[in-house]
Amino acid sequence: MHNVYEQVSQNKTRSGLLIGLFISFVTISVFLITNTLDLDPSFTFFALLFSAGSSIVSFFYGDKIVLALNSAKPALRQDYFDYYTTVENLSLASQIPMPKIYTIDSMSPNAFATGNSPKNAVICVTTGLLNKLNRSELEAVIGHELSHIKNYDTRLMTIVSVLLGTLTILINSTRRSTIKSKKNKDSSAIFQLLGLILIIFAPLIARLIQLAISRQREYLADSAGVKLTRQPQSLISALQKISSDPNILAQASTATASLYITNPFKGNKLASLFSTHPPIEKRIQALNQML
Amino acid sequence: MIFIIPIIIVIVYLITFYNGTKTIQVRIKASIQEIANQLKRQADLIPNLVSSVKSFLKHEEGIFNKLTQARKLIESGDLGNLEKSQDLISKALSSLRVVVESNPQIQSQQLVGKMMDELRDTADKIMYSKRTLIDLTADYNTKINTIPGVWLAPMFNFKPEQGLKVDNMESALSVDQKDMQTPKVEL
Repeated sequence: MHNVYEQVSQNKTRSGLLIGLFISFVTISVFLITNTLDLDPSFTFFALLFSAGSSIVSFFYGDKIVLALNSAKPALRQDYFDYYTTVENLSLASQIPMPKIYTIDSMSPNAFATGNSPKNAVICVTTGLLNKLNRSELEAVIGHELSHIKNYDTRLMTIVSVLLGTLTILINSTRRSTIKSKKNKDSSAIFQLLGLILIIFAPLIARLIQLAISRQREYLADSAGVKLTRQPQSLISALQKISSDPNILAQASTATASLYITNPFKGNKLASLFSTHPPIEKRIQALNQML
Repeated sequence: MIFIIPIIIVIVYLITFYNGTKTIQVRIKASIQEIANQLKRQADLIPNLVSSVKSFLKHEEGIFNKLTQARKLIESGDLGNLEKSQDLISKALSSLRVVVESNPQIQSQQLVGKMMDELRDTADKIMYSKRTLIDLTADYNTKINTIPGVWLAPMFNFKPEQGLKVDNMESALSVDQKDMQTPKVEL
């Protein structure tokens, strides 16, 4: 048995370890690859610059882009009393400013949060979610989303994808150029071989670690959300309702998938290794331990 | 020169510790004000509900008396008084609830339904602002009771915070023989 406090700190430690693993893997890969191919250090710098440049727009305007892509409308207090007040109450409990709230017209029940800091955070739910869940289930879902906001998950995943982008750009641009055999000094044959292997496998491995981070942050948001509401049962029944619903969210694309509370592509049975979200059964199992 | 570095680290650590602990202290005070704020909001909501169910209400004066008393207690801002005022408000509320629930005519009115939603929401708000106080107090007390805080707290004169007071603390912490028995439900 793990109570809610233990689960929150355990999830924090695990995602910290994964982030450390990811950063050291990318750093070592970049170092070995540039070493093998005898690239100038400035090359890495430009790859990083390029990758960060492509993320700058999504970092500052990501919330607005996502809202426009999903055709979201602002939710007013008089129209969505339960939605508005639960967000208000839970922001009070988690000591962050109240995020802007929106709705998407869709039968499929789902919700997401975005924004690079709690100050300009956004929460968005579908009208299907508001119709199908009762107030305490809605509260549980909002608690999960607010924990994403409080943990700076959007910012974290942006930084992770910038690093992954750097690695990919570096490798893609070297693949085009012919590999020069290196005649210089100290690097041993084993390092050379490792570098060559990494050129092929590093992007895949880094992507897998990135997905593992994403899944770990979902567990963290689940447990931190329950720490706010103290009602694991509501989150369990909300997750069951959401996952058993036959409707599919038309507005979701692969670009926005990782933001949702559950994977918006149902029926599309990907191996759990390649998924942004942990399987519902495992999340419910973890929540059951908090009861 | 090298011995300066540990000194700098220690000084920076002390500053971080002091500022961090002081910040929680300020937040604890703010969260108490927040509880008062939400209690006042609840007290202000009730007269609206009263006026919408007026014709069904017989003991109206009692409700208003309790509310005025509760408001006075809230304004004093003391945590103990807040508890007392909440008692008064919940007494006023329960007599209102009885009226609403025993009259189907009232329940069918849309306005009353909305008022009851508002009341549920303000009760949630009070619960969450109390939870904030409880969580902050727990964070603060953990910080000054664990290493290295337990060594540093006397230096800055940080005292344990009381947090939320519960009436009859002793009886809340112990289980009576009566409570241990399996409850019988007769239909």
